[in-house]
Amino acid sequence: MRLIADSGLWVAGQETEPPPLAAVLEVSGAVLSWTIDAAPEAVQITLTDPARADWMWRLLGAEGHVALASALEEAADPHTVELAGVDIAAASIASLHRLAVGHWLRRWWPASRRDGIAGLDGALLDVEVAVLTSYGQSFFTDDTLDSDVAGLLRPHAPALILHVRDDDARTRNLVRAGAELADDLGVDGVGWPELFAALDDPSMVLDLPTERRDDYALAAGAGEGPQGAAPIARGVASVHWCGVPARIFDAAEDTVDWYVEATGSTAVAVVHAAVIGPDPATGVEVRVLSGTIGGSGALDADGRTTVPLLDPQQRPLTESAAWDHDWTNTSVIIGAQASQAPESRETRERVRRWARARLERPADDTYLAEIAAGESSY
Amino acid sequence: MSKFLRCPYPVQMNVTADLAVGHPRRAVIEQAWRAIGPGVDVLSSDDGGPLSRTVKRIIDPLVLRLRANPQYSLPVVTPETAAAMHELIVRSGPELCAAAAWFETLKLERRRLRIRTGNAQEMYFPVCFELAVTKGAPTPDDHQTAVAVLQDIHQGRDRIAIEVLQQYVASPDVVAKLADQLDRSWRDVQPGDATTGPFMAELGTVLGAASNHRSSTARQQVWTAMIADETPYNLGALARTDGAELPWSIAELGLSSVVPQRKPKVHGESDSDRPLDRSVVDRVRSTLRRALDRDALPDIPLLCEEEVDRAAAPWGLLSEDKQATLVAGIEVAVELAPLDRSVASRYALAAQIQARLRKEAYVLHARRYLAEGGPIHPRQRQVIDDLAAYSQPYLNRLWARLHGRDVWQEPCDDIDDVRSLLEGVARSVSLDHRQRIKAMLELRATG
Repeated sequence: MRLIADSGLWVAGQETEPPPLAAVLEVSGAVLSWTIDAAPEAVQITLTDPARADWMWRLLGAEGHVALASALEEAADPHTVELAGVDIAAASIASLHRLAVGHWLRRWWPASRRDGIAGLDGALLDVEVAVLTSYGQSFFTDDTLDSDVAGLLRPHAPALILHVRDDDARTRNLVRAGAELADDLGVDGVGWPELFAALDDPSMVLDLPTERRDDYALAAGAGEGPQGAAPIARGVASVHWCGVPARIFDAAEDTVDWYVEATGSTAVAVVHAAVIGPDPATGVEVRVLSGTIGGSGALDADGRTTVPLLDPQQRPLTESAAWDHDWTNTSVIIGAQASQAPESRETRERVRRWARARLERPADDTYLAEIAAGESSY
Repeated sequence: MSKFLRCPYPVQMNVTADLAVGHPRRAVIEQAWRAIGPGVDVLSSDDGGPLSRTVKRIIDPLVLRLRANPQYSLPVVTPETAAAMHELIVRSGPELCAAAAWFETLKLERRRLRIRTGNAQEMYFPVCFELAVTKGAPTPDDHQTAVAVLQDIHQGRDRIAIEVLQQYVASPDVVAKLADQLDRSWRDVQPGDATTGPFMAELGTVLGAASNHRSSTARQQVWTAMIADETPYNLGALARTDGAELPWSIAELGLSSVVPQRKPKVHGESDSDRPLDRSVVDRVRSTLRRALDRDALPDIPLLCEEEVDRAAAPWGLLSEDKQATLVAGIEVAVELAPLDRSVASRYALAAQIQARLRKEAYVLHARRYLAEGGPIHPRQRQVIDDLAAYSQPYLNRLWARLHGRDVWQEPCDDIDDVRSLLEGVARSVSLDHRQRIKAMLELRATG
């Protein structure tokens, strides 16, 4: 194994892709990362604090752990440390990889009505990640961003009650394991007493609806245009995933419809980004830029907004100036403006390919929420 | 032959100079744990090793007693230490089995009483071991003990102590006497005329690169001299002098709401929650809240008197090593900015912490909680701005830890310990910030 010093931290293993292709896991004293569609063995380990990484022997063996610790301690100021005969055990990395993928699924799953990629049941996913985190607790001796098992469980009691009598035994077992964990951790909040009671006596939930809850609560309504007169200009754009929060927008391409129209004597851009939920799009920033003309605004819950346009002198753009303007190169940016190049269309397509493959061919490490999504006739 | 004689760590080894010798600490604990055999299931994880909380709440503090045996806390221990740890743990097997039985008893009772608050392992593990040592395994008659223990834990020993404090300071005479003492102690603190230059220069050594043993010995020698230096005292005394020149503004650092620092009140509403503004009673209350795990504190009147002197001392801390640690912490804090990649650090330790913070910020980006270097949703703006003023929460928390150590007379004379304290504070502030950044997205805004 070779370690390289990178801006003050020791890094081992393979270079991995940036988001949205990165599945990461923060354990005590290290951040592990993978490329989402690469093998579990292709891991990169960044040691943020080697002394706190007291689990390294589980991956490297006791001798490897000691060799690594002593090499890092002795290293006067080199940029590379070579450890002959020390390697990461494939078996022990698999469970960490699975956990990293679980966290990735929570944040990047490309749910899309347009692409036909079903959303994942957030409650089942979070509970499975929580239970796996608890199994892997020896990697979380300190609190880290990813050790918060109680936080993963807390919001989900009302949704889990619906699964107490689920047809699938795996789901029922998962709900029970999650509830036991919650009981031990003292998780409280809405619905937990009811869930504990329902598990003690499943017949109580006989009357509850048992079908899977569809998280797509919001209407899509794509491709609609202006009422009345023809617009001054119109076009479509794509949402860059890295610039917007998870669980709001439909993850397909070209989901942002926009057109420029006159209201009174001035021109505005009307923007609609297709949403899928469950979270509202409220407050997400929108920027319209076309040469020297621009404007900004914020979306409403359904992904709509009207952006007042400004001319190069920062005055409201007149209707006649709008008609004279060439709108060919207009960009509509949803969310934060990336300081570096945003992820490409090809990258997003690569993620969708991987997601579809997960749905079509469940494997040993597939999450129950993925299996359920794969089985649902979307 | 008893179990612990079959030690898996041959102490006499043929050691060659270039062969790394030793054992990962957790591996030693895990192996000893497995050697205990059956009876500790509820304290074990699915793979048979001890639960993380078993290690944190029982093995480390109560079996290995890390406070008294710091050699057991090293990440990699020598074969001799490994053998000693192994023996200690295996020899505690009967107590650990009894503690496991007590935990089951308490959990049953918890369920019966429908108690659902608090992490059962976190709260009950230490008391289970305590019961195991004092009473052995639970008997069927110990049902009442379990009820009493749960009531004690859940109804709060700290609350009772805090009530006693409230009653004590309800008396105007008591408050007047303490105010009098505060006036005198506050006046007694006067800056000397020593120069700050040498102390600040030596910080460069103690906060320098962590590497081999030779530099670590040198670092310790320098630190030992530094905690005897008057500079931290003087700086703290100057912080309350009008027009005095300090290297930093205590208001910008978040240690005080105003410059110069004002004399704290004995009791009553503070105008701010800044460490140096907090009233004497407020500080005592914090001590009582943190006292849950500790042995008996001095009684309330004595505690109040001592806290008056502490509140009047430079930096609100009595001992020189705590004052020196706070000054070192200030110098580190002003160099931390998790989202700023342009920060250059004067100290290797600060650079190390900064590198860690940046990696942790990257994790948020990789999880779509942050865009590249900034908020991903306008709702996060406030928290992101707070991140830019990292030194304030950092020093707030560092001060609270040092205050605790000052009360419990735990030293800060070991530079490695001080460095890991400075690192640990950064870690917990970072975690706190990141959870807030997450929470800002999870707010389900409607409309």
